[in-house]
Amino acid sequence: MSLLDLLALLPILILAFGGTAILMAGAWYREPRPLLAGGVATALIAAVAAGMVQPPTAEIAGLFSAGGYARFFTILWALLAAAGLMVAARYIMEKGLGAGEYVSLVLYAAAGMALLSSAIHLLGFFLALETFTLAFYILIASNRRCALAAEAGLKYLLMGAVATGFMAFGIALIYAVSGTLALPDAARLTTTAGELLPWGLLGWGMVLIAVGFKISLAPFHLWTPDVYQGAPAPVGGLLATGSKGAVVAALVGLLAMSGPVWHDLTDLLWLLAALTMLAGSLGALGQKNLKRLLAYSSVTHMGTLLVGLLCQSSEGLAATTFYVVVYVLTSLGAFAVIASLADERGEPMAFDEWRGLGHRHPVRCAVLVLVLLSLAGLPGTAGFMAKFAVFQAALQSGYLGLVLVGVFASVVSFAFYLRVTMLLFQSEEPASPRHAGTASEHAVLAACTAAILVFGLFPGILFDLISRILP
Amino acid sequence: MTMLASLPQFPWLSLLVLLPLGGALLCLLHSGRAAECRALALATSLAVFGVALYLFVCHGQGEGRWLLYEDSAWISRYGIRYVLAMDGIALLMVLLTAFMQLAAILLAWKVERQVASFFALLLLLESGLMGIFLAYDLVFFYLFWEVALIPMFFLISIWGGVNRRRAALKFFLYTLVGSFFMLVAMIALYQIHGGQTGVYTFVIGELLQTRLTATQEGWLFAGFLAAFIVKSPLVPFHTWLTDALTEAPAAGSLDLTGLLLKTGIYGLIRVAFPLFPNATANFLPILGVLALVGLFHAAWSAYHQDDIKRLLAYSSISHLGLVVLGLAAWQLTAWEGSILLMVTHGITTGALFILVALIRERTATRSMQELGGLWGQVPCLAFFFLLFSLASLGLPGLANFAGEILVLLGTFQDHPVWAVVALLGVVFAAAYMLRLIQGVIWGPAAKERSLPDLTPREWLMLLPMALLVVWLGLYPEPFLAPLHGTVATLLAGGLP
Repeated sequence: MSLLDLLALLPILILAFGGTAILMAGAWYREPRPLLAGGVATALIAAVAAGMVQPPTAEIAGLFSAGGYARFFTILWALLAAAGLMVAARYIMEKGLGAGEYVSLVLYAAAGMALLSSAIHLLGFFLALETFTLAFYILIASNRRCALAAEAGLKYLLMGAVATGFMAFGIALIYAVSGTLALPDAARLTTTAGELLPWGLLGWGMVLIAVGFKISLAPFHLWTPDVYQGAPAPVGGLLATGSKGAVVAALVGLLAMSGPVWHDLTDLLWLLAALTMLAGSLGALGQKNLKRLLAYSSVTHMGTLLVGLLCQSSEGLAATTFYVVVYVLTSLGAFAVIASLADERGEPMAFDEWRGLGHRHPVRCAVLVLVLLSLAGLPGTAGFMAKFAVFQAALQSGYLGLVLVGVFASVVSFAFYLRVTMLLFQSEEPASPRHAGTASEHAVLAACTAAILVFGLFPGILFDLISRILP
Repeated sequence: MTMLASLPQFPWLSLLVLLPLGGALLCLLHSGRAAECRALALATSLAVFGVALYLFVCHGQGEGRWLLYEDSAWISRYGIRYVLAMDGIALLMVLLTAFMQLAAILLAWKVERQVASFFALLLLLESGLMGIFLAYDLVFFYLFWEVALIPMFFLISIWGGVNRRRAALKFFLYTLVGSFFMLVAMIALYQIHGGQTGVYTFVIGELLQTRLTATQEGWLFAGFLAAFIVKSPLVPFHTWLTDALTEAPAAGSLDLTGLLLKTGIYGLIRVAFPLFPNATANFLPILGVLALVGLFHAAWSAYHQDDIKRLLAYSSISHLGLVVLGLAAWQLTAWEGSILLMVTHGITTGALFILVALIRERTATRSMQELGGLWGQVPCLAFFFLLFSLASLGLPGLANFAGEILVLLGTFQDHPVWAVVALLGVVFAAAYMLRLIQGVIWGPAAKERSLPDLTPREWLMLLPMALLVVWLGLYPEPFLAPLHGTVATLLAGGLP
């Protein structure tokens, strides 16, 4: 690794060293505010560095790319970390958690996600994945006094361990067949004449299962609702958005580099996508808890993303990237609303706690309505353009069946999202007021709202950027 | 078209769409101050009505396919353009929307709860409706199509009757299922067109030239039809409407029946028929039969209702059956009659919904068993009720008659059997309307009560409608004049 490599790695280094510095500062200095502010500043500096500093090399030690695509997602995850910290501030202070630990873990997670999105080597993929998963194990259970959170942390750990096992074994098999772990080659060398070799198929299949666990594709999604419910909303917001988005971004990058690798897996992926969309939307119907509902909704969205990936056309990849960005910003908004309403009674989760809340907190509940409608895909919001782009690409690639399944899932989604919006504005009994929210929370919500509307009405801005950076 | 677009002209059409949106935002900013919101909403809708009236008077007569056309780039990646286009039919619908919206705002004057949100939603709905009637790019059209659902959904689910939540969800999901099919068909058509010409666009005018095989055309047409038929609504997809209309707050029912229902039929006329002429030709007989079935089924159901609001809901379905029948006849006179009937039905049934709301306010009931004898108690209100009921059943000299007679005449030329059957249906309409009149305003009063008669605000709502009903019945020509050219073009295939 040369000095140039280090320069190319600058944004990640800022995140990692900044995190470490804050961790150490936190050991002596227990005042949370400056630590949090330092964390937000570090994340923002990393984002600026990723945007401004021209990387001198195209790739870093053969493990990670430093191209525009990698940089784009580095910026996104760094900003996400900043937003996640802004939303988490009150939670940390009220629960008396160690701000140094929390901030550093979030920064490490962001570094891991940024690395994952730039991986061009299976080893890099594996390392980055483990980096942020490890951070999340601790973050989810950061409030040890909460039994639900501890349970969620353990569940995530166990599922993560299983996934890691599959991933490692799959990678080993791929290495055994192809003799390399560099991504385009590993994909190419596991095939002969366009067909996957048997052991290669097994290897990629296992990697796919591990990915399935991470981004909760059905039937590997069962941990999701429990973990989302148990994790505090500021962590849940990162978990739902970044941890999944980074994996999908990595897959998009892989496909964009290596061309169609999934011929033999197409049928399987088709089935996975259909199953995931159905399991997510139908599972959400019976929920009586907003966080569990968001969990199932994220399952549906992952299924839709898989449709975009399955297209393997440049159109499909651009659509998937757009979808990831929109999904991240929208879901973050949902969790930010929950976090901003949390008070000494905890976060509002069960539907009963949301009933009539719209009359007490009209602005934030209106934001929640907008977020939910965007998740459902109402035209005029970013969620619609994302779905539109994916369906468009899927129809172009001839996946009419999947589009119809997706349409069905969307209709069901509308049903359960609308139920929540109706709850918010029911008016029989006035809901008791919740926390008024801090300025930083409102800032994150404002940013998410703006993003949903701007990308919904003027998606061209984001599409142009994406088509320029796709490798 | 391009000539028109290149001329620097004031963007009147954008103004029609954006003005209510701005009003809605202003209302939200003044939440908590009910009086200001009412004034703001009224001022906005007056301004919109002013613009609509100006367009009717000054741009109502024009050469060529479009009276006004606005076109600018929007989402270039997918060839989605910001196109607003007004022809004679759109002009009438815009005028109707602006007019009915005034009545709706006045009707909503007495809403007590969440006043700002209520008016904001009403204005947002107006914006969506204007968009539906004017947009000429499929995605742009779809945007308004869906966006108009949201305010109506909230109007029903927050301010509605006892079963409001169920009704609101049913309303939303029914129309949503239909429109998703339209979305898929839209994208498929876009790709076929792009594949043929290399130009990827959603502008309807350009998509008209797509060459489709019979199978393709059939499927795509079916996709669009799903959206429009559910919204129209044709039997057997009508069950959402009766619930939604019954549960909606008064102003919501008024907009729903007067305007939102028309969007389905309007979509058929403006989008589905021109895009898929061959599939349309094959489908017209089925459409005619469906329309007749709807006409009778709804009339039969209307006759057996006790709730007067529900009765009117069924009567709306029945009337719209006649409108669709006129379209299915595919003939100039019948089409003009259908479009005129859409407008007059909006006004007469809208006025009846207003009256039902006023009766409900006074007597706290909508059941015919508990009503009756209003003639003696509130003579002015009863007079208007009689007038609009008679107009609704098609009494000559009042509004609906002109439209109905044109539909029947036009239909008779090629499909005499349809026309004769439909005539029986019109007689049926007389039966349930007379039953309504008997049950509500005549006969002995069910209870002795002293009720206040019309207030000045209510006069202000009803009197213009009554005058219009008489005017449309006696001399509909000014409203038919802008239609001639447009209808002829559409019947010839929609190309300029």
